[in-house]
Amino acid sequence: MKKLYFVMALVIIASMMLTACGAPAAPVATEAPAATEAPAMTEAPVAATEAPVATEAPSTDCTSPDVFCVGVVTDVGKVDDKSFNQSAWEGVQKSKDDGVADIIQYIETTDAKDYAKNISQFGDAGYDVIVTVGFGLGEATAAAAALYPDVRFIGVDQFQAADVAGVTGLNFPEDNAGFLVGALAAQMSKSAHIGGVFATDLVPPVWRFGEGYRAGALYINPNIKIDVVYHNDVGFDKTFTDPEWAANAANAMVDGGADVIFAGGGKTGNGAVVAAAQRGIYAIGVDTDQYFTLPEAAPRILSSAMKLIVPGVATLIASAKDGSIKDGNFMGDAGYAPFHDLDGEVSAEVKAKMEEIAAGLLDGSIKTNVAPVKP
Amino acid sequence: MQPEKQKTSLIRRVLQSISEAVLIPFLAIVTAVLIGGLIIKVVGGDPFVAYKALLQGAFGSKKAWSETAIWSTPYIFAGLAVALAFRGGLFNIGAEGQLAFGAVFSALIGYALPEWLGFDLPTYIHLPLAILAGALAGGIWAGIVGALKAYTGGHEVINTIMMNYIALNMTSFLVGGVMKDKNPLNVISRTPLIAESARISPIFTGLRIHWGFALALVMAFVVWWLLNKTTLGFEIRTVGLNPDAAKYAGINVKRVIIITMLFSGILAGLAGAIEVTGLNYRHELGFSSGYGYDAIAIALLGKSHPLGVVLASFLFAAMRNGATRMQFMTQLPVDLISMIQALILLFVAADAIVRYIYRIKVKGERVVLTRGWGG
Amino acid sequence: MDWKRFGFIALIITALFTAVVMVGQSQQRPLMIITSMLATTIAVATPLTLGALAGVFCERSGVVNIGIEGMMLSSAFFGWFTAMYLFNVYHWSLMACIVTGTIVAIFFGGLMGVLLAWLSVTFKVDQIIGGTVINILAVGLTGFLNRQLFFGKTSLFEGTVPSSPGVFSAIHLPITEIFAPLCKGGNLCLENMSAINRVFDQKPIAWAAIILVFISHYVLFHTRWGLRTRAVGEHPRAADTVGINVERMRYANVIIGGMLAGLAGAYFTIESIPSFEPLMTNGRGFISLAAMIFGNWTPIGAWAAALVFGSSQALQINMQIFRDAIPPQWAFLQQSYVVGLTPYILTMLILTGIIGKTTPPAADGVPYEK
Repeated sequence: MKKLYFVMALVIIASMMLTACGAPAAPVATEAPAATEAPAMTEAPVAATEAPVATEAPSTDCTSPDVFCVGVVTDVGKVDDKSFNQSAWEGVQKSKDDGVADIIQYIETTDAKDYAKNISQFGDAGYDVIVTVGFGLGEATAAAAALYPDVRFIGVDQFQAADVAGVTGLNFPEDNAGFLVGALAAQMSKSAHIGGVFATDLVPPVWRFGEGYRAGALYINPNIKIDVVYHNDVGFDKTFTDPEWAANAANAMVDGGADVIFAGGGKTGNGAVVAAAQRGIYAIGVDTDQYFTLPEAAPRILSSAMKLIVPGVATLIASAKDGSIKDGNFMGDAGYAPFHDLDGEVSAEVKAKMEEIAAGLLDGSIKTNVAPVKP
Repeated sequence: MQPEKQKTSLIRRVLQSISEAVLIPFLAIVTAVLIGGLIIKVVGGDPFVAYKALLQGAFGSKKAWSETAIWSTPYIFAGLAVALAFRGGLFNIGAEGQLAFGAVFSALIGYALPEWLGFDLPTYIHLPLAILAGALAGGIWAGIVGALKAYTGGHEVINTIMMNYIALNMTSFLVGGVMKDKNPLNVISRTPLIAESARISPIFTGLRIHWGFALALVMAFVVWWLLNKTTLGFEIRTVGLNPDAAKYAGINVKRVIIITMLFSGILAGLAGAIEVTGLNYRHELGFSSGYGYDAIAIALLGKSHPLGVVLASFLFAAMRNGATRMQFMTQLPVDLISMIQALILLFVAADAIVRYIYRIKVKGERVVLTRGWGG
Repeated sequence: MDWKRFGFIALIITALFTAVVMVGQSQQRPLMIITSMLATTIAVATPLTLGALAGVFCERSGVVNIGIEGMMLSSAFFGWFTAMYLFNVYHWSLMACIVTGTIVAIFFGGLMGVLLAWLSVTFKVDQIIGGTVINILAVGLTGFLNRQLFFGKTSLFEGTVPSSPGVFSAIHLPITEIFAPLCKGGNLCLENMSAINRVFDQKPIAWAAIILVFISHYVLFHTRWGLRTRAVGEHPRAADTVGINVERMRYANVIIGGMLAGLAGAYFTIESIPSFEPLMTNGRGFISLAAMIFGNWTPIGAWAAALVFGSSQALQINMQIFRDAIPPQWAFLQQSYVVGLTPYILTMLILTGIIGKTTPPAADGVPYEK
């Protein structure tokens, strides 16, 4: 009788999960779990003592030279953050689709103190390339490069002041991308009033996007009104995950008369993009072409300030495989995304001007004059 | 006959209470792990592989043990902070902010004191000062709340929540501004490295486990001693059980409330200070990812008893630490760990459910853990 | 009721608005600033109000609920998921999807309420633990499901994020239309009128929150149900002796509370923005808790407290927007950190300086044993 309750409880939870998950879940016989799960407890501890750490790879042996393995260690954050961690992972996935990488795997960091440990999971397993995402992992990456001399490290957003053997930093001129969309916003605004909603200026890429935007808008129209808000009023842990705040900030700007809004900074920024789209004004996304990642807002997304992490990572992995990769910095591409649905609303003049500015930024005749970090 | 009977019943009672104390949590963990395994199975994973990896990651090698101890250190301090407040009838939701403040001030003394003085300090002076600064910062931060509660009746739950926001905000302000590492190569918000003389040395060479862990265990003993062997501890417990009765018994309730919050804050501040001096050697924004909130769960799981807190901290630490390896082997999301933790807390704390499932009779008195919002 | 408290809160809100108007008037007309800030205030206050009402119902019946945050988060997920799923798989119309989503969110909040009641009333588990379990469980569950369902090529929609149907649109009150003749064609007058109109053009959940404040007040203080609820929360033994079923009253009120928290969750993903992000409630459940205590466990008081938070959020956003207009001697206000502290410091000041001691229901947090 008492066992019956227990099994019933398990079955109920199982069926809840099954219905919630729908298709992807492998069908599980409802009675089976209780019976099959029980040995897990008795067996697992024994197994733990006999197996030395990291002698086995998930499926194939990464220590073999024939198998090209790529691992990603995220910054504190999730691999599905619709932002830079996800982009880095997608770059690695792309390299697998391209046939470059054989085995790909990620580890999400939950706390900064785990950086070294998480990298060593891949290092010990004999991975060939380890992608570490975010400046915060810079020191841990350099230290790991000394520890695993055979491994190629790719540090996304990690500027290399001096070359470290085995490490390639992948950086982006975010200020150029911000400048471009700022110029675009200034040209597209009818009220000469634009807005920007950002997570926190303490994170350099966010700062460069934001100030680049300001500079770009002023480049087109020195008298334009630019509202810029940062979500600095909460702790660092919350500033990137607050879409509701950003939606309110964007709405306040629209109330004030802004008719183009650029938003940057993880999930917080997404909230402002979606809110701007809801109000029917132009929204500009960030990092990737958000026309594809924010379908809710897609019809009103004018463009996105892109830092092309995905192709950047994939390119570096390919060059790591053929051996042409170099230590030091690799500058990835940054730019603005196509206009998609709103292409018809952007005049030929504006398009020509945008290309002119992009070319000017590239050859250095136009400078954003944005400090790399908030002074 | 009479003494004999008493003796056997005493032995039985002791045995019973030991089996009670061990059996219920054990069954609770087993149940939670079983349900977790079922969830893994349902989403198409292999619970055996997952749990084996979890255990390997937490205890599979010397390094794994060391990392688990490192994870448990702030948990123990912060858990003790919340538990001590619970015993005094106060609910300290603010460990997160106190911890951040402790870390900031410990880092400040750690890197800036030699600059201010113009000469280097020996470790036996500098290190205690750095730790003390952190402990005091946390203590004062919480002590303010205690004083507000004692003298104006301002509710400690609101005030600790508000002080959390203020502390995290001010931390961002300081670490992103005046305290930011001025090194031109640094782009993120973090303090300079603290001086060598302010660092806690590792216990074993080659492993990161440091003497701060030992200090955490010592503090657990100190808290136990304080609560059970001192007059002040008696007063704290009495106020915790019934402030009105305490008042009639001649206890200065106001003083006790302030002291309880002060000590609670000192413990939380120590958690931050030890992370800085023992592990990170600097304060970096975003590092304290939710210790303060985990600490509430830990204190509850440990039934506000210092030993219970230590054990609960180990459990949480092992799960958090092993999660990396689990993800590496199975690519299961780390959130699974949160779910299992919630279930463990549910079943351990709500022992009635476990008794209900396994039909174990209730023996002994219900222990009062918290008193809701207090009067 | 407590006029001193409400007077003071009104004063604070007025002061916040005045500060922004003084700074921003060189850039925008005061009326525009005020209406825009009012709109922000009401929007920000909506989930806080509902969360605080959830707390009021639970705690008035004697069950401490620190799980509001978790209830909001999980309802936000399930409400959004339902709307999204119906929209993409069954191609329901927008309105049908989001209304069903809202109902599911409320239902799920109620379900979380059942869990809390089951733990704290039936099993007499320490009530703080019940709430903490809900908080941790919600973070784990929503994060886990969000990952399993939407990430990776084997997931529900082959790894793409499906488009959500959208959000509730504002209910337009025809203020401008009715009073337009008063303007006699004056453009400025019409503009002012439509600005004022915008404040009243709130979305359904925002309206529901305000209406629910007064309904809750009436129910708690002017009906037999409310009397019983309060009796159970103040003096369960006495209530029991006069024949009130303590357990049933507590169950009912905790479930009502859960449903209110569920509606607050729906605000995030069905009214504010049409997508779910892990951890998106970001501590608002705890702020609600603070608002509830601040409001001394009364619906109207909690609403007033939520409005203080809302208006200081509006201050923080607008001060940044008008950053360039801040006079140089007040340059420190340009730091968003400084303005960002306003709601928290204000709350502490009000709480300690004006209100002082707040009194919870006497049996709040105490399991009732016969």
